[in-house]
Amino acid sequence: MSDVPTTMIQGGANESAPEKPSMASRLAARPQLVLVGVLIVLIFATGIVEPNYLSITGLKNSLVWAIPIGILAAGQTILMITGGIDLSIAMIATASAYIAANQSSNGVMFAIAVGLLVGIIAGTLNGLGVGVFRVNPLIMTLAMAGILLGLFTGWATTIFAGSTRMHDFIRTLGGGSFLGGKVPWAAVIWAGVAVFVVLLLRKTGFGRNLYALGDNAVASRLSGIRAWQVLVAAYAISGLLGSVAGLIVGGRIGSVDLQLVGFLLLPSVAAAVIGGTSIFGGIGTYTGTILGALILGVLQSLLTFLGAGQAVQQVLYGSIVIGLSWMYSRLATRQ
Amino acid sequence: MAWRRWVQRHGWTVGIWLLLLFLVVWYSTLIPRFGGFQTATIISGGTAWIFLGVAQAVVVIAGGLDLGVGGMLVLTSVTAAQLMEGQSLGMVVVIAIGIVIAAAILNGFVGWIITVSKVPDIVVTLGSLYVYQGLALMVLPKVGGGTNGSFRWMFTGSENGIGSNPWPSIVVIVIPVIIVAWWMGRTKSGLSLYAVGSDASAAFLSGVRAGRTKIVAFAVAGAFAALAGFSSVSISGVGNPTTEGGNLTLNSVAAIVIGGVALTGGIGSAIAVVPAALILFFFNPILSALGVDPNRAQVVQGVLIVFVMMIAGLLEWRRLRRS
Repeated sequence: MSDVPTTMIQGGANESAPEKPSMASRLAARPQLVLVGVLIVLIFATGIVEPNYLSITGLKNSLVWAIPIGILAAGQTILMITGGIDLSIAMIATASAYIAANQSSNGVMFAIAVGLLVGIIAGTLNGLGVGVFRVNPLIMTLAMAGILLGLFTGWATTIFAGSTRMHDFIRTLGGGSFLGGKVPWAAVIWAGVAVFVVLLLRKTGFGRNLYALGDNAVASRLSGIRAWQVLVAAYAISGLLGSVAGLIVGGRIGSVDLQLVGFLLLPSVAAAVIGGTSIFGGIGTYTGTILGALILGVLQSLLTFLGAGQAVQQVLYGSIVIGLSWMYSRLATRQ
Repeated sequence: MAWRRWVQRHGWTVGIWLLLLFLVVWYSTLIPRFGGFQTATIISGGTAWIFLGVAQAVVVIAGGLDLGVGGMLVLTSVTAAQLMEGQSLGMVVVIAIGIVIAAAILNGFVGWIITVSKVPDIVVTLGSLYVYQGLALMVLPKVGGGTNGSFRWMFTGSENGIGSNPWPSIVVIVIPVIIVAWWMGRTKSGLSLYAVGSDASAAFLSGVRAGRTKIVAFAVAGAFAALAGFSSVSISGVGNPTTEGGNLTLNSVAAIVIGGVALTGGIGSAIAVVPAALILFFFNPILSALGVDPNRAQVVQGVLIVFVMMIAGLLEWRRLRRS
């Protein structure tokens, strides 16, 4: 049983990137079509491994995986377009969820508000570090992750000691569904985030500034963009998105700890990269990232259904992320 | 003017050594007795951090970034623990050499993927980090294994990992670091790391084989991560596949940044990473001697790293303005 799906994945990859040059160059022009192809092939491969998967419940399972990845990856996409990255986003998410759970007794609105505030504050600090003090984004956000982890580990036993159980309303938002349990509420939130981010990147001056900054920082400064303001805003938005994802994950699991979202950091970067966002800045779309997140969500289901242990899952996951980004970069360079 | 150039060239390194010296002196006033035991604990504990920092430095100087080194530490340490348990010293050394070579080949393969695929380092090595951690779980599903007492003595100065003789750890740090520093500063293949790291296309046009240089850098990083893995096995005496390799990678990045290696490539030295890694490691005992909650150590570390980066950025800005 275990070797069937692997051959399926390889077969699928060959189908979507065939050898004929005319077809390949046509696909290269629209790399997102290839991602859709990969997604469909993965869904059917999972369906072959576990026939029950091809149902609303099965697909919903993958979607539930993809939602927090997609929201975190929205932050990564925005920052990667500027040439940055946010390695603290998962810790921001965890911190937000932790504080929201802890403050659940003070009313749900207050809990959500302080949760989101954590993300905005941490994100703004990241933005000040990167934009004003010119600290390398990798270092700034790594350090922020360390600082947050240290602070919250200390606070968990002092000022935030007590309940780690999420408010019921947030639990519904994170884990509940409507229309007879078919559509998760979190999907609605993701849809909202998606519309916001896509419009932000495509239709606003701020979005254009992000691309300009990532494409050529000097040229954008000479044309009058105040880089530090754009960066502070971008990192604050990324932090806010991290908080949203954290509340969703915390709501789905129901209670929080300080390892809550950490495991989604690498997938969030991977989703943006698989979706065609360049880590060097200037290139990327959120629609691509959405496809990347969905692919990773289905992949998670596939690996679960294969019954592979954690070890095999990690090896496959890492290899597939490398393979997909390799495929994408080949298509992009061919164009 | 000569002294000014000297300061510009070596000022950072000297500053880092002075900071380490200051911390040592300060620490010795904080605790009742500062002797062989404390020295040995700090140096042997810092060994893995130093090796991992050097591994990262080699790759970053060549213009790359390897997020997988922490995973490689975990993978090599559990492999060592699995294979070395109950073996004689001769056999253990043979196994250790085999693991170093295997780690170099495996990480060199990662470098090859980056060179051929042109996918950014950070993405490929995020993937390799996952793969290494998964492989580590396959090699050793749960904490266990062991190694030879004399092998532990080589890395910690004691057959059970806790002793008061710092010299073996010092020797085991100094020899590989000197070798790699000599290689990077004096040989053609080592100097090409700097050439590729500072400007890959200029290096290529002047005849440096950029792809091969990157692969070599990743291979050397793999070998140093393996040394870090041995150090970790020697301290604990067992292999632990559930160690978070990602966090170890973060330490290595922090160490090279404090050590003055530029993340943009082409600038820095392996030797300066040694005091930087020790400083980072040193924070834990100092803060616990101060009676500070160990969780605060992480906060202080993070703030320190940002602060150091801000100073570096400021110096760089002043230098640019002057020239």
